[in-house]
Parts: sequence; C-alpha cells; structure tokens
Amino acid sequence: MKYAFFPGCTMAYRLPFAEKSVRMIAPKFDIELVDLPFTCCPEPNAIRAMSDDTWITFAARNIALAEKEGLNILTACAGCHESLSLAKHELDASQEKKEMVNGILKNVDVEYKGTSSIIHVHQLLFDEVGIETLSTKVTRPIPIKVVTHSGCHLLRPERILHVDDAEVPVKLDLLCEALGMEPLDYMDKTMCCGAGVRKTNSVTSYAVLREKLTSMDMVEPQAIVVFCPTCFITFESGQRVVNRIFGTNFMFPVFYYTELLALAMGLPDTDLLLDEHRVKIDLPKTKEVQDKAKVDLGDSLASSP
Amino acid sequence: MLVKGRSQKRSDDMADDIQKSKLDALKKTARPCFQCGICTSSCPVFRVAPELNPRVSVDSIITKGEVPREGNEWLCAYCLMCDQRCPMGVSLAEILMEIKNISAREGKAPPDVIESAESLMADGCLSPISSRSDKKRTELGLPDLPKADPADVQKLFKATGAFEVLEINKAAQQEEAAE
Ligand code: SF4
Ligand code: SF4
Repeated sequence: MKYAFFPGCTMAYRLPFAEKSVRMIAPKFDIELVDLPFTCCPEPNAIRAMSDDTWITFAARNIALAEKEGLNILTACAGCHESLSLAKHELDASQEKKEMVNGILKNVDVEYKGTSSIIHVHQLLFDEVGIETLSTKVTRPIPIKVVTHSGCHLLRPERILHVDDAEVPVKLDLLCEALGMEPLDYMDKTMCCGAGVRKTNSVTSYAVLREKLTSMDMVEPQAIVVFCPTCFITFESGQRVVNRIFGTNFMFPVFYYTELLALAMGLPDTDLLLDEHRVKIDLPKTKEVQDKAKVDLGDSLASSP
Repeated sequence: MLVKGRSQKRSDDMADDIQKSKLDALKKTARPCFQCGICTSSCPVFRVAPELNPRVSVDSIITKGEVPREGNEWLCAYCLMCDQRCPMGVSLAEILMEIKNISAREGKAPPDVIESAESLMADGCLSPISSRSDKKRTELGLPDLPKADPADVQKLFKATGAFEVLEINKAAQQEEAAE
C-alpha cells in the first residue's frame, strides 16, 4: 500500500524523531510513503480563525496534490488530520464551496476533486493493519503502565472523523496492550491538553494542562502515550512550565505511539529516537518473545515496582 | 485616525453588511440552545478560566449577537468538547470560529495569530524551519521534504483575502502602538 505522507510542520521540524519512527515501521507493514510539496495543513486555531477561505483553500491544495498522484493521504498529527478531514468534508458537501476553491486553485494549476481519502497512522494501525497482525511483529514487549491521550483532533468532531468513540476512546489503549503495556483508565481521558490557546493565553493553557496532568497522575502511570506531535510537545515540555507556574512536580516520559511500536518490534536504531527525549525512562528489559511463557509471566513483572 | 474617502466609506458599509448577515446566520445556528449548561461543564477552559462560559456565550450570541466579553472568542481552544456534547447539536466551537473570523476582519486578531499567518505566507509552514531542524533531520536520516513554490503560496494567500486581513491587523497594531 502506498500513501502520500503528511507529517505536518510540527512533526517535521520540531519532532523529527517521531516522524522517523513512522518511517521506520511503515515498510514492515508493506507501506510505502511518498513525499509531496505540501504546505501547512493549515492549522485551524490560527489560520482558520483568521480566514476560513484561506484555510480551506490551502487544505484543498494539499489534498489535490495527493489526488493528482492517485494516492490517499496518511497523516501523523491530530491537528493536520482534523484540518484536512474537515476541509474535505466541507468541500465534498458543498458544490458552491468547491467551485469557489477551485476557482482560486486554478491560479496554481491544481484542482480539488474529492477522490483521495485521509487516514491517520492511528487508523492505519488499528483499522487497516489490525491488532492481530501488529501483535505478530512484537518481539520485545514493553511492560510498563501507561495512560493514553488520543487527542481532541483525532476524536472530535466524531461525526466526521470516526477515529474512535469520542467519549470512551479505547483503540489507542488496545494498541498499547498489543505491545505488552498496561493502559490505565483515568478521569479526564478525553480532555484537551491545552495546546489550542498556548500562544494566545499561556497561563490558561498551562492551567488546562495542569488539570489534565493531575488527572493522569492520580493513576500513577510510568509514561504518557500520544498520537500527535503537538500533544507530545505540550506534555513533555509543557509539564516543566506547569511545574514552574504552579509548583507541581510532574516528570512524565512521553512517547509518540510508533516510537514504542518500533521498540517493541526490535527495530535497529531506536536509540536515535530515545536520545531525543527530554524525560528519559529506563524501559524494563524483557526477553525476546520466543520465550513466550516467560513473557506472559511478565504480567507480574509489570505490576511489581 | 485615518480620514476615509467616500468610496472607502461605501466599501466599509458593504463589509459591515456582510459581517451583519454572517452574525444573523450564527444567531440562527445557536437558537436551538435551551441553556442546559452541558457545554460549560465540559469545557476545559471554563474549568480554569470561568470568563469563557460556553452556555453564557451561546445565550449572548442569541440575544445580543456577540460574545459576552470582547475578545472572549480567542480563549476557546477549539477542543470541540462543547460540539461533541450539546444535546441540541449547537456547535459553539464552530460559532466561535466564525466569530474569530469576523473579529480578525475588524483588526482584532491576537498577535500570535498574525505571526502564524505571516509564517504561512513566508514559508508555507507554521513551525520555523531552521538550520538546526534541518541538521536534526539529516542526522536522523530523514528525507528533505519537497516544498511548495513560494509564488504559489503567495498567490493563494492573496486570492483568499488573507493578505488583506493581515494588513488590517498590522495597521490596527500600529495604531494601538501609536496611542
Ligand atoms: S450544551 Fe447546547 S443546549 Fe446546552 S447550554 Fe450548551 S449550547 Fe445550549
Ligand atoms: S471548543 Fe472552546 S468553548 Fe468548546 S469546550 Fe472547547 S474550549 Fe470550550
């Protein structure tokens, strides 16, 4: 399977190791990634807020580039995923909007048709590859307790995105379980990380993050697992700011899901990824899965401190 | 303060009309609200900054055609929790998005929004591409990502009205600085 890969600006230029992890695991599932001259998705909180027409036209251009190559789009950031999906939804629903946008896109020799679909790596792994196939690739399970945060923009609006149940998301938990992790439930699982107002009103944004981290902390996870580079940065770097402002003491390691997948698959060079993390974790060493029986005992491994 | 010519005045009036009809449409989408408050109890921003109260915002939009406090719309994180939970299908998140558009046209966009728009226009990208980020990509063995033609980016930026909104806001910023 071949996809037009849409890592998005945040992943490409601020979290390149997460992008690396997607590119590491893709070929193992026979996925080929094609790079196209995309612009920013564009990000809805700033660009769409400033001009809806600008937002939808840039998004339409991005989608149209993939259409031209006959490819579907694979996104890796929740924000990009939502932005492109919402734009597509609007364009496909309104002939008038589509004509308006195509009228402008003519100036740059592109046309939006509506022939490509948009899926996120989350959907690729859960819906297309499937837990069963994924599990067969796991050779080094990672026995840690985690909390997952799917991200607002993968879950909502549920009527358009269909990634997971927006009130009770479980798929990322199941994906973690497949790697030997123990996902923990927590109170504010579907709550925002606060990133949306970070620049406009930073104290409010970090207060939201404090609430979210407090809720996670209550169940004592060893790490946070996300599927969005913006959420990653908010949790990993943001917790330090929260500590500074509110006198808290959060120190969670954070992972983009495919980093853990690459680790669990025993792929080479995963140290490259871990080196980039600001909060390090000594991942418990497990024996190769060949020793299946022993690893199953690993349950007790996970529950002992 | 600029002294406006007659034709400028007329186009201002026209712009006002468009803004007004947009607001009327928004009032209509907000009307099914029966003030249950589910949106408020679900809003992560309200939880820490009660000045953004979704229920009160919806009420104020229906009755007065505006958010309760000027600039309130920019506090919304667009997390879509209110959109998800409203039993009447009112999406405050989308309504506020439109109000942000209207207030940006009036030169009231916050500085970070202007900054983002400027970097989209300059680089086609919101995260700064630096020699450091390029070096990191090379170290990780990541490909050079193809970039959009800057001329195309500019064309789209202008043709969709973003350039104009940017100018309006820059002028407003300067006016404010001058005061
Ligand atoms: S949840 Fe919907 S109906 Fe209830 S107060 Fe909010 S907007 Fe009104
Ligand atoms: S979208 Fe905005 S108003 Fe609605 S719940 Fe989220 S932060 Fe609150």
